[in-house]
Amino acid sequence: MAITDDGDFKQAVDDLSRAAQRLLAARFVENVLELGKDARLKGVVNAAKRSDITEDELALAFQSAKAASVDSYTQCGHQCDWDSQAGHFVAQAALACLKPEPGAAWEAATHARMARTCASIAGGSGTDNSEALAQYRIVTEFLKS
Amino acid sequence: MSASLEKGINALKEVIDAPIASYFNSCVHCGLCAEACLFYTETDDPQYTPIHKLEPLRRVYRQEYTLLGRLAKLLGLSKPVTDAELAEWKPLVYDSCTLCGRCSLVCPVGNDIVYMVRKLREGMAVAGHAPDGLVGASTRSVETGSPMGVKLPAVQAQMRHVQAETGIEIPLDVEGAEYLVLMSSMEIINFPEYLGAIARIMKQAGKTWTLCSTGFEATNSGIQIGVSDIAKVLVQRIVDGAEKLKVETVISPECGHAYTALRWEGPNLIGRPYTFQVLHILEVLDGFREQGLLRTSGLEQAKLTFHDPCQLVRRGGVFEQPRRLLKMVAKDFVEMNDAGKMNWCCGGGDGVSAIEEAEPLRLQAFQVKKRQLEASGAQTLVTACANCRIVLEEGLEHYQMNIPVVGLTETLAEHLVQGE
Repeated sequence: MAITDDGDFKQAVDDLSRAAQRLLAARFVENVLELGKDARLKGVVNAAKRSDITEDELALAFQSAKAASVDSYTQCGHQCDWDSQAGHFVAQAALACLKPEPGAAWEAATHARMARTCASIAGGSGTDNSEALAQYRIVTEFLKS
Repeated sequence: MSASLEKGINALKEVIDAPIASYFNSCVHCGLCAEACLFYTETDDPQYTPIHKLEPLRRVYRQEYTLLGRLAKLLGLSKPVTDAELAEWKPLVYDSCTLCGRCSLVCPVGNDIVYMVRKLREGMAVAGHAPDGLVGASTRSVETGSPMGVKLPAVQAQMRHVQAETGIEIPLDVEGAEYLVLMSSMEIINFPEYLGAIARIMKQAGKTWTLCSTGFEATNSGIQIGVSDIAKVLVQRIVDGAEKLKVETVISPECGHAYTALRWEGPNLIGRPYTFQVLHILEVLDGFREQGLLRTSGLEQAKLTFHDPCQLVRRGGVFEQPRRLLKMVAKDFVEMNDAGKMNWCCGGGDGVSAIEEAEPLRLQAFQVKKRQLEASGAQTLVTACANCRIVLEEGLEHYQMNIPVVGLTETLAEHLVQGE
């Protein structure tokens, strides 16, 4: 089944197990990884993509993503650099991948979209929701595999 | 005397009013304010005693407005306030004071020390001794409407993002809406989930609301830096927007000082009452709860606690509302020691988090929050101020404490009864 809107998207990912959600979420992050400059994020995504990862390794990756997320907040009163802020949302998406709560894939998807939105604000164009379309393709392929 | 110092001293002379005169005369030097200040308790450094931070203002008061002080000045027997001294005092007046109000609350003679620090900041800013971070934020606020340089296209981009995520249209410039929703730049930049939560809650409550293209920003760096003229300009923008759109209520967002600036100081700044009411988002949500317009299902399984933002609980009296709201979604709620009106500040309020050089001290002061949290055993920390939220996250990360920090509005929105 081809995913073409958020309704189908949410329904499809809700039915996935926690491990499958993590694997899918990692693909969403991978698609926006170029927008983040923090070297830790690549390692986090690689960890999240591993189906044989242990709980201890997951916890370590979670800590790393959390640190990247906190480090990249735009502080209150500071001039916002939207390119850097895109990196923050990549970190947030990476963090979402590894959260133990349900809904990791959808949360990672929304953060990844926000990363693209920030990058487009930095470019002066605003969002065109292109990341959502890319994610629909990713989910469709993931469900087929 | 340099021109800027002269202007600064003149500004201090102007801000000294009857309350300040009575406060200085009433101070009994008991030191209770020291024990109330997290910058003192966490460093044991007496320079952080709140009343000591006001020493330049006290000297100007004494030299200009008391008989003995004026005589001493005339005879050259008193020490004038100098540029070097104001520079030395800058970290005390800005870096180590979040205007949290704990000192004012414990003062046995009722001195409002926060009021005095605000007045001292007026003179410090005029004399050129405000921190660069706050000067930049204030300049951007006047020039772009946001202390963080957020412009309308960025707000519109976030609106589109939230619309796509929630499937709910985000209204802009709708005349006659019941509520004008303001945001802080922090929410626009870091926490888009706040706007999404508002959209879902308003939809369930059946209320009309709008954002305003000329007044979307709630924060007020004029208040933080201590420049009333800037504070007035920023309040006036919101008032103009609200009156143009003829809204009944303006909602101050999850931000502490924005609430103080708009609700309590705003009418005095612009010199007239508002034609609308100002409420904090938690007051609005609690009103919805009371009217049966906020309906939730399910409970958070983690043990929750609530960090009271100083400007809400101590300066604004918003104490019961968040607790009633949390009761709707919390299975296990625990209060921290000193919760409520005596809660300890996050350490980054009223502009301190915008001052880079203040970070080491801020993290040191965070130890009091760390102890509060450890004693509570809480697994998730809920708050209602975007600045508190980031300062708390940074402190927790610094001290390697794995406690998620979430906003109350979005937490409630996560539990809304589906399909309404």
